[in-house]
Amino acid sequence: MKKGFITLHVNGDAHEVLVSSQHTLLDVLRGKLKLMGTKEGCTTGSCGVCTVNNGRGEAVLSCLTPALEWADQSITTIEGLEKNGCLAPIQQAFVEYHAVQCGFCTPGVIMSAQAVLNLTPAPTEEDINDGLAGVICRCTGHIKVKEAIRHVGEFGTAP
Amino acid sequence: MLLPEHDFVKPATLAEGLAVLRDAPGDVRLLGGGTDVVFNMRCRLLTPDTLLSLKDLPELQGIAVLPDGSLQLGAACRLTDLVAATVLTERYPALVKAFRAVASRHVRNLATLGGNLCLDTRCWFTNQTKEWRDAKGPCLKTGKDVCHAIAGAPVCVALNNADSPPALIALNATVTLASSRGERRMLLQDFYLEDGIRHTTREPDEILTSVTIPPTTDRLVFLKETARQGMDFSYGAIAVRADGSGATASRLRIVLGSLTTAPRLLAGAAERLAVLGLGDDGLDAACATLRDELGPLTNLYSPAAYKRELARILLRKAVLELREMQA
Repeated sequence: MKKGFITLHVNGDAHEVLVSSQHTLLDVLRGKLKLMGTKEGCTTGSCGVCTVNNGRGEAVLSCLTPALEWADQSITTIEGLEKNGCLAPIQQAFVEYHAVQCGFCTPGVIMSAQAVLNLTPAPTEEDINDGLAGVICRCTGHIKVKEAIRHVGEFGTAP
Repeated sequence: MLLPEHDFVKPATLAEGLAVLRDAPGDVRLLGGGTDVVFNMRCRLLTPDTLLSLKDLPELQGIAVLPDGSLQLGAACRLTDLVAATVLTERYPALVKAFRAVASRHVRNLATLGGNLCLDTRCWFTNQTKEWRDAKGPCLKTGKDVCHAIAGAPVCVALNNADSPPALIALNATVTLASSRGERRMLLQDFYLEDGIRHTTREPDEILTSVTIPPTTDRLVFLKETARQGMDFSYGAIAVRADGSGATASRLRIVLGSLTTAPRLLAGAAERLAVLGLGDDGLDAACATLRDELGPLTNLYSPAAYKRELARILLRKAVLELREMQA
């Protein structure tokens, strides 16, 4: 099909959207659903700022996958992490540990961090490094990001 | 930038997919995880009329242990699933290392085994934006008879940068290709061609369905050299396999990846190692054959001299690691 309606389950809500074969998942999240938290970076799979979580809670690049491939699938974006107006533990930890500089890559980094915690609730250093290898922060580094993940891994809650 | 317009087809069964592949007009491209194909479509290197999504085909899923002890890996297995499979981590840790060497976890969560094996060849001139390529005009790969990367190259010399083929070739893996005409199997080493454009023997109507690894208790070492540890394409990779004593010539296999257009099986160096053993004598003799056995290399991505030196260093490191495993 060149164009058609698909159902996307984004952050727990079902959306029926008209999608063309020219759209990637990122195009639909930002352009159609107006979920602007997920950023468009390199669009070549190098930077990781477009990271969202799939139905299994794994980090995937929304820029490298055709939207039509995601029919009836579940996706969590950065907007879906907060509950009832409260930031998720990992988001709060990013605030407390100052793991943000300019903030452009932050949604991708947080979704990558959340994926690490989804899969390994008490991540080792290697789990964290592996999970962050696909996202690049051009401002600073991964030290504070890792501290934030380590904190949530250790205590299960935000600082 | 939007992807080029195409017809997106997601068949429910392999038979349905093969029928589409046979009957659909124009350029039909196979889509696994999309991490290579979508990128190339964005650069307008690929402008398919039809994109055939294979990721969810039931026939291409799963890891199975066959009655003879062989392992069968479905072509649509995601690299993440292969990295996590205990049957692989227990039997073939070096193979898992090769799967894990592919890009980042984000990419491996999408990318498939079949996709990695069929990964398009890469070149610093061609794998750029369309605007970049248009500044100099088409090359061998994009429809003209000139190579802009290596002056005078008669055929496209783009490199095969996939990480999993060397390890799988060292393990004597075979691939199964299905088409509406039937099925055929071949050794993975025969699957690749020394041509950057038609880099595999896959026919246009065929789909790679599975990879079979014969049972073995041999030791395997895989090494990859990259700019950063994180997620880069490799400068060079090596897989070396040897049996317990390292002395059975037929089982000693050395495969180099990313230095040439097709992964390179080094029979001569392997024979030296098998005859003289994995000690310093064997290693020095094997390294001495490398230059002749590799033959001319291109300066694509890195100078030929660097590639030769890298091959030697990788072989040394791999054999040292094999020695430690045997101690």
